[in-house]
Amino acid sequence: MSMTLAARIRALPFGGASRHVAWFLRRAIGGAAVLWAVTTFTFVVQSLMPGDRALLIINMAAGNITNPSQAEIDAVNAKYGFADPIAVQYLNYLWRLLHGDFGVSYQLHRPVIEIVGAQILPTIVLAFSALLTAWFIAIVMTVVLAGRANPWARFASGLQIVMATMPPYWIGTILLVTFAVFLRIFPVEGKNSLIGLVLPTVALAIPLAGFIGLVIQQEFVRVLEQPFVTSSRARGMGDFGVRLRHVLRHAVLPGVTLSGWAVGSLFSGAVLVESVFARQGIGGILVGATSARDVPLVTGIVVISAGIYVLANVLVDRAYLIIDPRIKLA
Amino acid sequence: MSSFFIGWLGKGTSNLPKGAAPRLLIAGAMSMSLGHAVLAAEAEPASGGIIQYGHEQEPPCLAGPWIQQWYLQRQFSDNLVSRTDDGGIAPWLATSWTVSDDRKTYIFQIKPGVKFTDGTPLNAQAIVDNFNLWLSDDPEKLNNAATEYVKRSFQSAQAIGNLTVRIDLKKPYEPLLDVLSQSTFGIQSPTALARGRQANCEQPVGSGAFIVVKWNHGQDVILKRNPDYNSAPANAKHQGPAYVDGLVWKFLREPPVRYGSLVTGESDVIYDVPGVDWADANKRFQVIRHITGGTPLRLQLNTAFPPFDDVRVRKAFAYASDRRKAVEVSYLGAVPYEGNGALSQSSPEYLSALADAYPYDPDQANRLLDEAGWTARDSDGIRLKNGRKLTVRIVYGAGFLVTSDGIQALQIVQEQAREAGFNVLLVPTTQAEFWAGKNRGPHDYEVQPSYWTATSAEVFQIVWRPDSGNVVNAMNASRFQDATLWSLIEEADQTFDEAKRIKLYQEAQRIVVDSAAVVGFVPLTVTLAVNPRLKDVWLSSAVGAPVFHDAYFAK
Amino acid sequence: MSSSAVTLPRRVSPRIWDTIAISGRIPLRVYLAATVIAFFLASAIAPQLLQSHSAFKMDLRATLQPPSFSHLFGTDQAGRDTYSRIVSGARQSLSIGLGATALSMTVALFLGVAAGLGGRLVDGAISRFLDVLFAFPMLFLALLFVTVFGPSVTTQIIAVGLGTAPGYARMIRGQVLSARGAGYVEAAVALGHPFPKIVRRHILPNALHPLVVMMTLGVGQAVVWASGLAFLGLGAAPPSPEWGALLDAGRDYITRAWWLEVMPGVAIVAFALSVTVVGHHLQDRLEGRIDA
Repeated sequence: MSMTLAARIRALPFGGASRHVAWFLRRAIGGAAVLWAVTTFTFVVQSLMPGDRALLIINMAAGNITNPSQAEIDAVNAKYGFADPIAVQYLNYLWRLLHGDFGVSYQLHRPVIEIVGAQILPTIVLAFSALLTAWFIAIVMTVVLAGRANPWARFASGLQIVMATMPPYWIGTILLVTFAVFLRIFPVEGKNSLIGLVLPTVALAIPLAGFIGLVIQQEFVRVLEQPFVTSSRARGMGDFGVRLRHVLRHAVLPGVTLSGWAVGSLFSGAVLVESVFARQGIGGILVGATSARDVPLVTGIVVISAGIYVLANVLVDRAYLIIDPRIKLA
Repeated sequence: MSSFFIGWLGKGTSNLPKGAAPRLLIAGAMSMSLGHAVLAAEAEPASGGIIQYGHEQEPPCLAGPWIQQWYLQRQFSDNLVSRTDDGGIAPWLATSWTVSDDRKTYIFQIKPGVKFTDGTPLNAQAIVDNFNLWLSDDPEKLNNAATEYVKRSFQSAQAIGNLTVRIDLKKPYEPLLDVLSQSTFGIQSPTALARGRQANCEQPVGSGAFIVVKWNHGQDVILKRNPDYNSAPANAKHQGPAYVDGLVWKFLREPPVRYGSLVTGESDVIYDVPGVDWADANKRFQVIRHITGGTPLRLQLNTAFPPFDDVRVRKAFAYASDRRKAVEVSYLGAVPYEGNGALSQSSPEYLSALADAYPYDPDQANRLLDEAGWTARDSDGIRLKNGRKLTVRIVYGAGFLVTSDGIQALQIVQEQAREAGFNVLLVPTTQAEFWAGKNRGPHDYEVQPSYWTATSAEVFQIVWRPDSGNVVNAMNASRFQDATLWSLIEEADQTFDEAKRIKLYQEAQRIVVDSAAVVGFVPLTVTLAVNPRLKDVWLSSAVGAPVFHDAYFAK
Repeated sequence: MSSSAVTLPRRVSPRIWDTIAISGRIPLRVYLAATVIAFFLASAIAPQLLQSHSAFKMDLRATLQPPSFSHLFGTDQAGRDTYSRIVSGARQSLSIGLGATALSMTVALFLGVAAGLGGRLVDGAISRFLDVLFAFPMLFLALLFVTVFGPSVTTQIIAVGLGTAPGYARMIRGQVLSARGAGYVEAAVALGHPFPKIVRRHILPNALHPLVVMMTLGVGQAVVWASGLAFLGLGAAPPSPEWGALLDAGRDYITRAWWLEVMPGVAIVAFALSVTVVGHHLQDRLEGRIDA
């Protein structure tokens, strides 16, 4: 489909820009397909999990185990459509989803979009700041130390490996107790303040910084040996300037790819870190919702986070193009 | 006057004419603030300030039947009657009441001039509307506690005057007033209730000392002072509006975060002091503890199937583990051991003679098991009978019915029982799975620890009710359905002679404990650790809900 | 192989066994790392040899003891020796790490090779499938598994294994594609060599030699992820001494018994770190950066 369509678009008067449009369209359709698959899988698996859904809903409302009669169970089944065949339930859900209705949470009795909307921002903020911090740490370490012969460079290398293997929730717990409870430099309760963001961000950023650092360092060292670097030095450019201006640009490419993947990993890490620091966010809700088989809420969260992931990857690919214009919009 | 709350253990009387003399036993934990703090100084109740309260679990709704919701509801709504520390009943929204001679009609006089915070007048009709809602058949509206306790005996509620409520019962139900003092029966504004479930979940409206302003999901609930509050219970420390300007009810699940926030001053008072911090908390803060009534958190043994269908094996299991020591070591003093598996020590009908039931006696355990035919052993030391292992699966609700301290104690029980030849397996189950019935099927467990919160022995009606028709009583996980037991309970629930009633409930406890259908573990406790600058925080007697209406910051 | 008189140059790729057998310059850190790995492997295989106490035996008079000579890493709330618990937990944690990686690699191999060698259609379908898998937060897949199959070591292995498979599948696919497009393969095809033979002799060995290294790096990550699941309470039931479960149990005590939370974490980091160091060393050797 893509080839002929793209060719036809290119033949249009605004042919130049059409390549970008075609690229974007292709990605958009691909993304939509991914989202559809994710939605279907999540919905079906959740619906088919063992256990009595009606009993769960009744007990959740009661806050305890109860003794509902068959009539009460049937009433709940009728209300939520559990008695319908799975295909019918799924199609109903999909139909509503296409109209922007994510449904109402079984346990919280509020629209899913409201629940997710309120809580997704703290998670995004945390993930984003962790990504930025990780990049900052990785770039500083690489630019200053990579490729050098001194023992600091070897230490930095080793440190990056150690950082990459540390579990974020473990670091988080230790940071919390040390810096918040004992030293009182940071608040124990993060809430939504900027200062409360510091410790969770650092906890999430450290392993990622290790990874990114390792990856771009390899590339950095390889690029350092390229002829164009030597010629830059010959033209009188300082060592630091060379590293920063020329080499870094090429070295970050694999790191950028990694970042696309890292968004998914950051999300999972945020779940753990949020629980350690008692922060608002999608993480806590997802864990509770999954075990409560709150199908609308779980599906909503997964779809929205998959959407963010797809979007992030599109942006990453776009960033790739900007960083390395040699890559064509194939 | 600054005063300290001391958790009462012991028996008491109800507010009815014939009563036994109360005997009071002081609880193990007294609340003190030591150091240089103002022990004797009288701090003036000064107005102002906002209480930062670190609670633990966040419920899905702000009003409803969850125990977490009861604690919240105590802040924004009032009940008909209040329960005093010695088990008596004190006036609250109902200034006085009469009971007919056949004990089937109650007439309550309602306090005049009380309004809900949305302006609706609190009159008899409003109360009747609440009753009808609790007992409705619509599963979205009904109050599960009401269904379990009251529905069977309830006939009707009527407003026979603007401020007079009449309740008619089908048969006498002595614990009615105790039940009505539980904060889940707090009266909500009918206007607000008519908004529907979602609105009521988000911002319920009552007549209480605080008004729900906003719920920041995943974080906290903001409440502000009700400046027109005039309906405090008779046993409150003062009448009139709260001293503080507001209350922030935070959800801090992690123990290091919760206790840490108290230590750094970010919280003025926290809930559920972790066992590991108990000693420290008692040194630095004022610690209040309420041992909740109803059943303790006890181990229910599945008497319907082997191996626990044999009473000797049940008793052997009870003797095989030093549960007292396990509790001491795991809870580190925060929660006492409860040997009487049938009833909590703070219930007036509690039989203290049963508190030492089944002490640690491995010889006795081994003897009983040999007697019961479990004589063979496999290579790991686990007993066998007809080739089957003596396996005991303990199915527990991880993190909601049993805390991490409790899980620790269960591991000790596991290890000790192993020495007697029991193959104990711990089966943690998440809250949702537990409610969906996972691991609770008749063949899925041998032991199920759980509790039911109540003020006192009225709880027996719920946990020991026999199955009827197709409905299995899920609260009776022991499947112990002794006819004598049930007839004792039914009789006691309808007896108004205090002494006789207590005797009947005690007989019931004896049957339960002697048959080892349940084995004692720990009572449900509510603990608060309060910064000494915040005074007059207390826990209500009904179910230990924190009360902040009388609290104030010392200058 | 064929009757052709022309023999094709194999791309120079030192085989794994060539590098290991040689005594060349092995940095000290690699020796240390190998020792640590050996220690943990021994712990997994025969914990009784390395434990100072039984991992399950409780001593209710010696609870929450700080590290000392009698208890190297202190004791926990029930008086169990933390060091022995860590040693005993190695078996579960390592089997999760190795099992998850093995599962992950198997799935990734299957998908990656099929995508790399198959036609546009197969590649397209598998790539879409991988895209979808990637879009799921890994923790969510893990949660789903645990909710359906219940928490246990097996579930952790499957959850982590399937969660990490897409990444490796993509890498393998990339490797296979680039090997397939290499000049010597084109030449072989032009010379009329049968395709299966080309696959077996040229494409697969060249594409898969990074696999060993990937696996070593992956094992460490798998242990870390699995411990994350246990941290959320989704691991094996107590009294399992699996490292993640130890972290989960220890965090309530961190202010008063720091060793309960710190030591298991150190074990995880030490193991993952050692495996990564050895993996990097192998990688360096394979890519010829170190003289064999």
